[in-house]
Amino acid sequence: MSQSSELDESRRLGSGIVLAAAGCAIGLVAVFLTARRGVTEWPFAAVFGLLIAVGETVQFRVDGTRNRAPIATSAALGYVMLRGPALHAPPEVAQIVAVTGLATLAGVFPRAIAGLPWDLVISSRRVLSVACAAITFVLITPEDFAWNGSWTHAIALTGAMLLGVLSAGVVDALVGAGQDTEKFNRPFPSALRDELVVMTRIGLAMGISGMLLAAGTSLIGLWAVPLVVVPLLLTQFAFRRFASAQRTYRATVRSMARSTEIAGFSSPGQNARTARLAVAIGNDLGLTPARMEALEYAALLSGVGQLALADPSPGGASLLRTREERQRAAEIGASVIERSGVLDHVAEIVRHSNDPYRQGRANNADIPVESGIVNVALAYEQLVGEGSGQSPDKAMESVGLGIGAEYDPVVVESLRRVIGRGFRF
Amino acid sequence: MRMRMLRLFVGAIVLAAVVVFAVSSTFVSDYGRVLLLCAYMLVGGSLRSRLDQQNRTSLDTVILVAVYPLAGPAAAVVVSAANSLVQRRGIPLMKRAFNGAQFVLSAAVGGLVYDLAGGPVGAPILESPQRMVLAGTLACLATLVVNALLMSTVLLLDQGVSPLKSMRYAAAPTLLPLLGYGCLGLLLAVVWIGGMGFAAGLLILVPLVVARWALSQYEAEKQAQAATMRAFIEVVEAKDLYTRGHSERVSAGVGLLGKHLQLSADRQTALQHAGLLHDVGKVGVPTSIIRKPGRLDDSEMNAIRLHPARGVELIGNIPFLEEVKSAVLHHHEKYDGTGYPAGLSRENIPYFARIIGIVDAFDCLTSTRSYRPARSVDETLAILVQDKTTHFDPELVDAFVEVIRSQGWKAAAADQPAPDGSVQAIDHDDLSLGSSGGASGSAAGPV
Repeated sequence: MSQSSELDESRRLGSGIVLAAAGCAIGLVAVFLTARRGVTEWPFAAVFGLLIAVGETVQFRVDGTRNRAPIATSAALGYVMLRGPALHAPPEVAQIVAVTGLATLAGVFPRAIAGLPWDLVISSRRVLSVACAAITFVLITPEDFAWNGSWTHAIALTGAMLLGVLSAGVVDALVGAGQDTEKFNRPFPSALRDELVVMTRIGLAMGISGMLLAAGTSLIGLWAVPLVVVPLLLTQFAFRRFASAQRTYRATVRSMARSTEIAGFSSPGQNARTARLAVAIGNDLGLTPARMEALEYAALLSGVGQLALADPSPGGASLLRTREERQRAAEIGASVIERSGVLDHVAEIVRHSNDPYRQGRANNADIPVESGIVNVALAYEQLVGEGSGQSPDKAMESVGLGIGAEYDPVVVESLRRVIGRGFRF
Repeated sequence: MRMRMLRLFVGAIVLAAVVVFAVSSTFVSDYGRVLLLCAYMLVGGSLRSRLDQQNRTSLDTVILVAVYPLAGPAAAVVVSAANSLVQRRGIPLMKRAFNGAQFVLSAAVGGLVYDLAGGPVGAPILESPQRMVLAGTLACLATLVVNALLMSTVLLLDQGVSPLKSMRYAAAPTLLPLLGYGCLGLLLAVVWIGGMGFAAGLLILVPLVVARWALSQYEAEKQAQAATMRAFIEVVEAKDLYTRGHSERVSAGVGLLGKHLQLSADRQTALQHAGLLHDVGKVGVPTSIIRKPGRLDDSEMNAIRLHPARGVELIGNIPFLEEVKSAVLHHHEKYDGTGYPAGLSRENIPYFARIIGIVDAFDCLTSTRSYRPARSVDETLAILVQDKTTHFDPELVDAFVEVIRSQGWKAAAADQPAPDGSVQAIDHDDLSLGSSGGASGSAAGPV
């Protein structure tokens, strides 16, 4: 999911700068306020600050989208919701934000030095959502309201913690959806829906772990910290392994796609360009992440069926071949992909990726819109991609002539928007 | 004999468990809490039938560890007995009895340790958390160790597996994760006593479920990866009807040899990947050359010789171990330095490449080619042994011969087309041909 033209690059930074600036500003104010009033219960501040910093340092990337630091998030949320009897004076909002902000910086610093990927915007988002959780929790929980072993107090505190965690989650989802809309031109509602889905998985685990950390620490002091952090570390390890298996798998599919280039059936980078355009259109139409992934793979693999055909025709442009040949290649490609047993949806997309709209999707609702997207992306790439070199306007005009007969009108409209926003290969 | 020993052993374990259970149940006082915990164990037990081995024990362990500080060691024995009530259907009675009994005994030993370590029970855990954490961790460790000991004993009696082996491969890798997730049990006790009571279990369950989700996703991705590579290899092999299934068989063959050589799990997987992908670069060789009947001229042979480099170019971006890439690149090197692409000799050839070279040649000779029928396994092994100083690493050949002699070989399927007497084509892997094919020297059979 990346578009790398300069125009997008400058636009991408837009809200990121605002977010980072907001995070830094709030952090600075909080540090200033805390410095004036003095730190309360400093052992807790130190331990949780250390946890946040370490969690930030061992962040990782999962779902291919952005870095996550579950231990840092859980520790920060846990620090927000500390209460008695272990603490006599629960941390104030300013102190919570100051500790989180400073610890986050301290955690990002080693990553930056070691040359590992880091993202100040994501970290700022965490500071902001933790501030929201702190405000919510402190507002609805009186300072002297403590865990006293009674059932009623426990329920009230748990409810307040849930609200605090939820507010953090919702704020983060809103900001994340906004950023996705800005970066990938996704419609806001579908971006928000995707963010909320992510929130119910890793987000829920981070939130509940934060609550457990807060409850345990409030009851037995810092002895509760290892009880939460050790399982969290194990879980993070499981997520890392998952993330690395995911990366390997994605790289395998990409390599598989490149085989048509090595075999001379397509020009270098052709599959990657087609996939990039297909992804941009899919984002514009607001497909779910699962469908986006299938769409990307289908665009990458759409030519793989040619491998089973005879040797390549010179130049390798599949637009030059007859429709029957292309459809046969698509059919073979689909059956190859199907044989893997795990990419059925991708196979379905590829199977119909060379069907003209009139004989395909127009009258058959079972054919996924992704097939139409791949079809249009292939055609546009053929016209504009390296070598053939038509101007985008000219190519858009050619594609426009096929609207309704050859190409899906919805997809062509979307292509027009994507190109109009400055998408270039 | 062994069967009788097994019965005797299981009988003794069950008897001991029953006695321990009977004695412990007289010490239980807080019936309400113990009943609730039993309910937890029952729910946990019925959930586990859908989980795999490692996860199901983590749920059992977490609940058991929670019982020590919540209701004391005696209650832990009673609650652990509840676990035996919900076992998967279809397990033989003796196995069920053993499963239940070993869990009760493990819980009892853990309880003993908890008590000896001075672990507090009930409300005092909030006053002396450090003693609870220490005693709880030791108790959890004791439970796991007793469980591992009993399990490996029964495996020894039942299947003759050496206890060291079952300890090393089954028990040791799960010890630390289980000990780690056991911490959640202690936390459950704290939050329970702290006022949340029965509902604390719901909070604890969430991190466990998410961890399980991540693990299952990991497995799913790995399987998807393997399946996708297989499908891809099939396309490449579709270019030549005679090499169908070759890569899969080489992968299986190097797998056997790798196990024999006792590679680590990571390297074993890498070796099998390399075996599967070694010919992937053939996708860059024109089909007309691959299928060409008759001898290849020099330029055509050069095109074929490019396939290892093409293969590396193709898989270069996949984050495999480096050894996979070097194996793909050098699988046509020969021990005497006459191979391609680099002309490496002896130990300079990467280890994996030497392994793949042997299995590659072996599978080629035992498969049908358009110009000759398949050779028998014995005949082929003899050829490998004859050639072992020129083409192959002699030690690896000996190891491979030993593996195939003891475990057998499933040669290429019979659905290959029959050889066509009029055709003189060449498989680049074929040892039975002159230098334009794969090999020369004593291996050169009748052409």
